[in-house]
Amino acid sequence: MNAAAVVMALNTACTANCPWTAVRAVGSTLVFTSDSPMPNLPALLAGDAYLIALTRSADGQTPANPIGTGPFQFTSSNNGVLTLTANEGCWQGRPFLDEIVITGNRPIRDQWLDLSVGHADIAQVPPQELRQAQQQHLAVVVSPPVELLALEVSDTGALGNAVLRAAIAESIDRGALFNVIFQKQGEITASLLPQSLTGYAFLFPADRDLNKANELRGGLTPPPLTLAAEGDPTTQLAAQRLALNLREAGFNVQVANAHNAPHADLALRKLPLEGADPAAALETLLRSAGENVPVAGRNPNALFRAEHDVLDLKTLIPLLDLPRAWAIGSRVRDLRLRADGTPDLASASLEGTQ
Amino acid sequence: MSLRQKLLLLFSLTVAAAVAAVAWTVLVRIRHVFEIRDQEETALFVSQFQREFQHRSAEVAAAVDHLAASERARAMAFELAQSGDVAAYLTEAQSMAQDAQLDFLEIVGADGKIVSSAQWPARFGYAEPAAANASTTPFLKREELPDGSTALGLFAVHAVGGTEVRLIGGERLDQSFLADLPVAPGMQIGLYSDANSLTTTVNFSTGASTPALTAFDPPRLLGPSGAVPAAIQYKSLIDAARTSGQQVNGIVNPTGRREDSLNATAIPLKNEQGNVMAVLVVAISRSGMVEAQQHIRAIAYGVAAGGILLAVLCSLWIAARVSRPIEQLAHAAEEVAGGNWDVRVPPRGRDEVSVLARSFNHMTEQLQSQRDRLVQSERVAAWRELARRLAHELKNPLFPLQLTVENLVRALELPEAEFDEVFRESTATLATEIANLKTIIGRFSDFSKMPKPELERIDASEVVWRVALLHFPNLVRKGGRSVEKSTNDEKIQCSVEFSLDPMPLDADPELLHRALSNLVLNAMDAMPDGGVLTISAHPKGETVELRVADTGRGMTPEECERLFTPYYTTKQHGTGLGLAIVQSVVADHAGTIAVESPPGCGATFIITLPRSAA
Repeated sequence: MNAAAVVMALNTACTANCPWTAVRAVGSTLVFTSDSPMPNLPALLAGDAYLIALTRSADGQTPANPIGTGPFQFTSSNNGVLTLTANEGCWQGRPFLDEIVITGNRPIRDQWLDLSVGHADIAQVPPQELRQAQQQHLAVVVSPPVELLALEVSDTGALGNAVLRAAIAESIDRGALFNVIFQKQGEITASLLPQSLTGYAFLFPADRDLNKANELRGGLTPPPLTLAAEGDPTTQLAAQRLALNLREAGFNVQVANAHNAPHADLALRKLPLEGADPAAALETLLRSAGENVPVAGRNPNALFRAEHDVLDLKTLIPLLDLPRAWAIGSRVRDLRLRADGTPDLASASLEGTQ
Repeated sequence: MSLRQKLLLLFSLTVAAAVAAVAWTVLVRIRHVFEIRDQEETALFVSQFQREFQHRSAEVAAAVDHLAASERARAMAFELAQSGDVAAYLTEAQSMAQDAQLDFLEIVGADGKIVSSAQWPARFGYAEPAAANASTTPFLKREELPDGSTALGLFAVHAVGGTEVRLIGGERLDQSFLADLPVAPGMQIGLYSDANSLTTTVNFSTGASTPALTAFDPPRLLGPSGAVPAAIQYKSLIDAARTSGQQVNGIVNPTGRREDSLNATAIPLKNEQGNVMAVLVVAISRSGMVEAQQHIRAIAYGVAAGGILLAVLCSLWIAARVSRPIEQLAHAAEEVAGGNWDVRVPPRGRDEVSVLARSFNHMTEQLQSQRDRLVQSERVAAWRELARRLAHELKNPLFPLQLTVENLVRALELPEAEFDEVFRESTATLATEIANLKTIIGRFSDFSKMPKPELERIDASEVVWRVALLHFPNLVRKGGRSVEKSTNDEKIQCSVEFSLDPMPLDADPELLHRALSNLVLNAMDAMPDGGVLTISAHPKGETVELRVADTGRGMTPEECERLFTPYYTTKQHGTGLGLAIVQSVVADHAGTIAVESPPGCGATFIITLPRSAA
């Protein structure tokens, strides 16, 4: 690991809308260049988006696959099964677990079945399935809100009129999404950052006001709009529900898959809420959303104003803060969740193993 | 057209018309019978199909009923009643619809709002009007789908247990539904479904609103295997069913070929409000019936053609048999008209034609007898006339001869000198009168031995000019068409007119000259007090017309009629042979001669001769 490898990893991780203008290695030092101050740079670099992978070994050779710098290193990947082994030389020390086998593209029900029969120790639990997992008496750990379900609204084309975007914001029934589709998991929100992080999220009203939406729309009848949603069924269902809400407000909306509609008028997305630093979290979130809004300061007032300014544009409409949840097997001990809701496997151990 | 041809045509047409009428009647009757049978068969098939459709409706109702009666649904209804939490059942409808193999299923809570929807999961919480109008019988409903489209479905509603929770299940009326329906061989089915089958037209003056039919859209007519080909052909039928709301029958011809035609029935499918939601088209192929009809028609045409051919042959025989005696009569009549009076028609049988033949034979015998008698009497009359004329002509010179001879006899007693003088005078008189006798005899001789014409190509104008110059030497030719008038003795003026166009004639110039000269002399004789003589020659179609006109006193009709009779004359000293000679010459040149003499306007002789080819 050296500075050049880090630069290479950062450039690989960030190809567009980066916090910096350029990054280069000067000896063992990294030099970031930017047109504006970067008070949140350390926090941003600590996020998952900028994880540094070892792309060049100590002898200067480039490995065939990234092997990692954390507690576990990449060993193999075969038929969607990823194998990680403990990194003996990790700066945090060697983890308790010797090996982690991650099986991808496995249906949730199958994961749960594997967990119940002892073929797996940790299984994914989407928020909307959390209630069912609990009904099946699975041990579940739930993170604080780590994702923001938000509706991105294009400010060009048919929705170039901010009043129409405001009408869209007013017509959304967040309660139906929260209560039914996401099975009362997470939190209803109209702010970008969760209440637990800022304390002022309640200041943004999240109630639906269809009359106001119709009033705002006035006599305008926009052309048919396209709402793009990611491919998972729950997001698609939520998008359809939003389309229904919007239809009540006089908007004709068709739901499409995000892959098929890259330039849709509306897009339902899950944005990351990372870290404990609100300013850094907001910047990360906005950059994920493709926004480039500088965050003025770290005090709550400045943060509120910055968030308020962004929301006033009605190009990003927060809907729900969603947690991450995991079902864990009976052998797993000391499993904690990190700030981004992912399990901290380095600290976990299995009962009955050495 | 001959009598035989007319009879043949009459008989043939009569028989052909009769055969055609019979064939047409038979074909129309057969067609009528076939169509009635075809309609009955179609009605039977349609009835069977409707029963099958109702059976499928009953199946949908039974499936929903079965679902509503299941323990799963009862438990769900109980939980909903207890907790009111609908979130747990978001995907319940999808699961239940899959189990019951229903295309549509919605769970509607006691508040009339959707708890779960299989076809549109995001519609939870929205009101479902169909639940309020629920009945146990299946009904049609157009269901909105997430992609913005709509689908027509056959629905049934059933309450779960004793609760207010209802299940609204249905089966989609689409291609697969049609494909599952049993169809008889030759039967085609289609479903016309329009998202907005009826639009409402508002009359702003009266405020009344009337439903208006949306335009027929051919791609919306679907069969079990996709779009129905030539769907536009069903337009009138489907529109009639959509408009009237009643079942409509008709014949559809998708390809234009009659054997591909279909006996189609459009069955309107209505919702509970009676609005036509779709039109089910059941079409039965008419190929079997059409082929049978064509087969029968071919046989009928063959028999009719054979009958007509036989009738024509029979007509030919009958016509020949009937017309042969008449043709013989006609031929004999032509022979008689041509001068052959010896012809006879053999009488056959006792019918009217044989009577006619016998009468004809008798008539020709009578005619022949009368002609002979007439010829005999005419011959006698001619001899008498000739004798009279000869006697008259000869008597005039004979009288002086007799007087001269008597003078000579008396002169014997005179002195010698006087006798010599009387003798000289008497001999001179005798010579003169004998010359007169010779002249008279020469004229008769000329008439009796008219030479045969020696034809050569001449121009009519040359003949005319030559004759005119003979009698009027002072004539001066001026210009083309006419000449200056000329007089011979300052009493008669002559005018010659002829066309500049060539007027070729195949004629004997001397005979023609002689004939024209006769006419000119007659004309001059007709104008003792002077007048105008006009000689002209003009082409007239395929003939050349020569005219000699005078301005004398003219002739009476009786004179005109007898003018060309030999030895007839109106002159005091004429022989009556001049015009007879003219007529003979003209006849020898295959021409005709006529005379026109309006009262007091002189006379015009018109000779018409055939014009030779140039």
